[in-house]
Amino acid sequence: MHPDAIWPGLVGGLAIGLYSLVQLIVTGRALGCSTGYGNLCGLVSRTAYFHQGPYEDTLNWRFWFTLGLPIGGLLAVVLHGDGFVATFSLGPLYDAVMPQGTVGKSAVLFAAGGLIGFGARMAGGCTSGHSIVGMALRAPSSLLASVGFFVGGTMAVQALFRLTAAPV
Amino acid sequence: MRSAPLLFLLFGAAFGYLLSRAGATDYDAYAGLFLFRDLQLLYVIGGAVVVGLVGIALIERRPPAALFGGGPLDLSRKPLQRGLFTGAVLFGIGWGLAGACPGTALAMLGQGKLTAGVTVAGILAGTWLYGFIQDVRSGRSGTPDTTTSSAPPA
Repeated sequence: MHPDAIWPGLVGGLAIGLYSLVQLIVTGRALGCSTGYGNLCGLVSRTAYFHQGPYEDTLNWRFWFTLGLPIGGLLAVVLHGDGFVATFSLGPLYDAVMPQGTVGKSAVLFAAGGLIGFGARMAGGCTSGHSIVGMALRAPSSLLASVGFFVGGTMAVQALFRLTAAPV
Repeated sequence: MRSAPLLFLLFGAAFGYLLSRAGATDYDAYAGLFLFRDLQLLYVIGGAVVVGLVGIALIERRPPAALFGGGPLDLSRKPLQRGLFTGAVLFGIGWGLAGACPGTALAMLGQGKLTAGVTVAGILAGTWLYGFIQDVRSGRSGTPDTTTSSAPPA
């Protein structure tokens, strides 16, 4: 089902787990991917929330880390895949159940993104900060958040695939 | 360790690269996960947590200073804040529908997946909306305020 270009799950998990420890030991910062979006908000908006607390210095470490992520993705496909390939596909599984047209598909993706962004702030983090780092820190909040993430994901995909009568 | 742009750009690139190699930038992986047909990502997260548990436990015994800058390591746990579980479920719904999360969406965008770009725009919008609502509820109006929040350390 997966292209041959990716690692087995446990290998990927090992690598990512090691990465989070390396980042912590080298920089003192805990891995996280959602708060940086607040930095980006602070860059383009004067909403006070994004100019205080962790966002007071807009160009802090999170800002640069966030900018680095797409570079990593590009590197991966250049080194191991077919390079940068512009596409509006969601892969065969999602493409079959999502709206077919660009506008409809975009609307769903934008709304989903909205839930991700808003939900991450409510939860205080995303799968990186809570599921990878938080659970390694044995934080009850992160276990609870991770359960919530999976409950939500399961509900959404099960509904999406069943309601569109795709062969499940 | 304050900003160090190049260092964190490299770290971000490294993480984006690892997410991609682990299969977390494949849309099919998310459909497969939540349909219980392909547990690749469960092994990724599970494996990362196991490694992290061991590593953190070792670090906690005698936490070293950060190699760059010599500051303390951030071992803080996120608080059990109000709305956490609801927010997590909302996140999860978006995660399942979009087949991406804040980190992977950016990595995917770097690969050329323009669909992930739309998701990123949505994440920005959702993030902004949260902040806007917080401002409204605390009576802020464009003036930076040092009121404490349950947001992470800077």
